Amino acid sequence: MELLQTVFDVFMQTYPGFLKATLVTLQITAVALVLGTVFGLVFALMKISRSKVLQAIANFYITIIRGTPLIVQIMFLYFGITSLVVLSGFWAGAIALGIHNGAYIAEIFRGAIQGIDKGQREASSSLGMTRSQSMRRIVFPQALKRSIPPLGNQFIITLKDSSLVYIISVPELFAMANREAAQNWQSLETYLVVGAYYLVLVMIFTYLLKLYENKLNVDK
Amino acid sequence: MLKGSNIHKSFGDLEVLKGIDLEVAPSEVVVLVGVSGSGKSTLLRCFNFLERINKGTIEIDGEAIDPKKHKLSEIRAEVGMVFQHFNLFPHMTVLENVIEAPIIVKKMKKADAIVLGKQLLEKVGLSDKADVYPSKLSGGQKQRVAIARSLAMEPKVLLFDEPTSALDPELVGEVLGVMQQLAQEGMTMVVVTHEMKFAREVADRIIMLDEGRIIESADPVTFFESPSHERTKQFISLVN
Repeated sequence: MELLQTVFDVFMQTYPGFLKATLVTLQITAVALVLGTVFGLVFALMKISRSKVLQAIANFYITIIRGTPLIVQIMFLYFGITSLVVLSGFWAGAIALGIHNGAYIAEIFRGAIQGIDKGQREASSSLGMTRSQSMRRIVFPQALKRSIPPLGNQFIITLKDSSLVYIISVPELFAMANREAAQNWQSLETYLVVGAYYLVLVMIFTYLLKLYENKLNVDK
Repeated sequence: MLKGSNIHKSFGDLEVLKGIDLEVAPSEVVVLVGVSGSGKSTLLRCFNFLERINKGTIEIDGEAIDPKKHKLSEIRAEVGMVFQHFNLFPHMTVLENVIEAPIIVKKMKKADAIVLGKQLLEKVGLSDKADVYPSKLSGGQKQRVAIARSLAMEPKVLLFDEPTSALDPELVGEVLGVMQQLAQEGMTMVVVTHEMKFAREVADRIIMLDEGRIIESADPVTFFESPSHERTKQFISLVN
């Protein structure tokens, strides 16, 4: 009971800052998702292309990204790139998250594209469509639909992974929680509260995703 | 119209077609028969360039087609293909399935394509299904949409790869009916099928393939009444 009271107190004390930080978390997640989707699409197409060179580049990217920790990638990008160009922590973090996501999203797209029955491509070929027309009009729209559940999952991972950019001092949710905990000496309560923020965000997102999936199923 | 000379096709070490010569005249209906593995579907797929032949030539309208020089997409647009498993586009309505290729490949105006699409759906008896998705159709309806979709490109030749093999028995008739109607209208057709009644009634010529070779080529009466090859006799007694 006592804990509940103090958690509530901490919540009341922290919410102005936490809500502002939530906005930063959502922004960095959104940028990372857009970048990740673009990278994912490009690398998925490279991986299924007929060019050995493009395949090799895509494989290299995916191997490196999946083989190293995200936090190392964030630090590498922050210190590596900022020695060359001026980049805020926010953008360094968002780009690192985007590049990281791209590797996983590429595999999601690749799997979905290759999972489309080859009869679809044969039918479009037999109607005179070129490879790219068939990809654009027939294969990809179907693959995209199949990608939505795993993409939703990846989006949730990204939202939570965005907490790692606290390490380069981006004022997002987790960084804010650290700061509060250091000041109020109520670490347990503070981390409980920030955990609840993430939980609620994920639940809202899951709900929206479900609505969207239902809508897709009704359309079909 | 469509002419194959000395067609050879191998998959790895397996030679499936061992020198096929076949010429199809305009408005002719040729039915290909043979036991499974005889190469009849492969031959059809070669005519559509879904498979590349290893040796020989394919001519369309007197022009030899070289896959390296010609744009295959342009050639395929002239040779329609109807598949055993329909291969309709599940994310498009029936009408969208039919008008997609004319719009994308032939750059037809959408309004014109819709008029054409509706005509073709009426022809195959599916006017009322224009706006539904393929998942709501029976197998026979799907195959009739697939035929309309091929016709929308106004092909010179229409190839049918076992068009009724995936259908429940009671749905076979409606598809064969549409095919018979096309034949009567003068469409040039090459049909791989096990429907001997259709072959007997609609074909101008029946060709028997066996182990990658043509062993019999005759009009239906001769084919069924007095076949020359022993394997053909066996085959006929098997399917009758």
